[in-house]
Amino acid sequence: MNRPIQSTGNTRIEIGRLLRAGMTGFVAGCRVSQVNAPSFGALVRAPLGAENEVFGLIYDIRIEDDGLVKQLVTAERVDEAVIADSRLNRNVPIEMSVLAVGYRRAGRVYHLLPPRPPLSLDALTLCSAADLRAFTARRRFGYLRFILQSREAPAGELLAAHLQQAAAAQDDPAAWREAAVREIITLLRDDYAALMSVLSALAEV
Amino acid sequence: MGEHAPLREAKLRALRERANRLLDEYANAGEALADKVRAAARQIPGLRCARPEQEALDLHQPPPDTDLSRISIIAADGSQINPNRHAPVAYYLINAGAICLFPGEAPQEWVRSQLHYGDDLYPGGTLISEGAVALQRDVAERTALLALVEGAPHQGIITLTDGPLELWGAKGRDESGSFRQALQRYLAALRGLHRCGAVTAGYVDKPRADLVLRLLELAAAPEGDLRAAVREGAFLGITDWALFAHRLGPGERSAVFGLQSQSEQEYTGPLGLHFFYLNVGRAGKPYLARVEIPRWVAQDAVQLGRLHAVLVYQARLLGERAYPYLLHRAHEVAVVRREEQEQLTNMIVLELLRQGVPVEGASHKQAVKDTAR
Repeated sequence: MNRPIQSTGNTRIEIGRLLRAGMTGFVAGCRVSQVNAPSFGALVRAPLGAENEVFGLIYDIRIEDDGLVKQLVTAERVDEAVIADSRLNRNVPIEMSVLAVGYRRAGRVYHLLPPRPPLSLDALTLCSAADLRAFTARRRFGYLRFILQSREAPAGELLAAHLQQAAAAQDDPAAWREAAVREIITLLRDDYAALMSVLSALAEV
Repeated sequence: MGEHAPLREAKLRALRERANRLLDEYANAGEALADKVRAAARQIPGLRCARPEQEALDLHQPPPDTDLSRISIIAADGSQINPNRHAPVAYYLINAGAICLFPGEAPQEWVRSQLHYGDDLYPGGTLISEGAVALQRDVAERTALLALVEGAPHQGIITLTDGPLELWGAKGRDESGSFRQALQRYLAALRGLHRCGAVTAGYVDKPRADLVLRLLELAAAPEGDLRAAVREGAFLGITDWALFAHRLGPGERSAVFGLQSQSEQEYTGPLGLHFFYLNVGRAGKPYLARVEIPRWVAQDAVQLGRLHAVLVYQARLLGERAYPYLLHRAHEVAVVRREEQEQLTNMIVLELLRQGVPVEGASHKQAVKDTAR
């Protein structure tokens, strides 16, 4: 499940599989051994049939507990073998919540909700720098509205994480970041409180 | 009930005090008591009680200082799907699961499933009982341990199962000799473990046995009246917990006792059944387990000490609810959950239909229950 998938010259890293999905987002599960690959704010993709794919941003990574884990933490010490067993063998998935931000059909990227959600057990893969550039090509920022409208995702933090990662993939990171921030200011011009909160997070980038 | 509870508690307290006085009194009379047990066993064929061995009856022994990181442990457990006449298809399943912990390696899970259908369901012409399926499960656990030990590149492996070492089952009404057959396979697996130099133990959590109390009943009885002493049961209402919970400090074990029972005829030589009590609780909050071991472990002080240390350490890994971690994990590996059972049933139904075999379908009772869920 953790093997890289070769595709169109880019190494795609599979980071989990879909547990459940809706039009505005989806939740994927992964094993503990896969958890180093995904990160908050990362652009990921899932297939929409054989040709198309949906893009999303990871906005939550949740490590679920169970009865045994709750019991283990009450012990005076946790043995190394128990930790290894829990991480390698026990069927407790890590859940990643993803906000849908667009899709690709016939090679063209749309900053719109996908025509349908991806399906259970579809593989979720991490987007490469080339994918990030393709998704944000020509400084189109329409997808940012999904972040700002989301009720579940922490908008300021997610924007900050995404801008940091997306800018690093650009040929001119500073210019791209500046254009993105201008777009955010435009989108939030009527919501001063939200704008200040988002700018405060972006100031950390 | 509430009215009588204090009276009953007072009676039980008196029994506990009397039993403890007897244990103190006979603490160093093990040899004479063992002779008395043997004499009683000749008079009372079904006698079931503890039999003193080499150690004082009131022994409380802490675990030895042992380098646990060099000890290999395998724990196994089993589960089953019983045949259900209300199900769409008739079958039963035995699942054996294990977890192996070898020095310097992460634990490894192991699982094997045996699906039984068709003629397997009717040994002796009638539908196999749940007891007989449970028997097969117990045998599968033990044979799984043997297979894993034989295949392991380690020596002196400690093997654990949950529950008594003594095989239980449809002893009384042996269906077409299935208990005898199962017992022979079980004993062969035990002999195999002995041959491989493994330690094996059955871990009984929260034991309710009164084996040592039955011994004390015999101890107090006049030589000529042992049968009456056993019949009367002077300590009915209390268990061995009353004798050992306060005697054993955290991590300490009791003396090793022999298990006097009818099974002695089967568990002979190195397989002879023995047990000790173990306090896996904390200071001021004792919690007992009974650990059943074969004679080859009982008589090897080094192996016994390693087993003792491993069990205490493993139990403490689970914090407040002390129970050996690897046994819990073996259970997790082996258990067949309800959803898995439903999934398997559906797979069998689909395969039968694909092969053109008609399927009865679930009973109406089961179908209504499933709809209501």
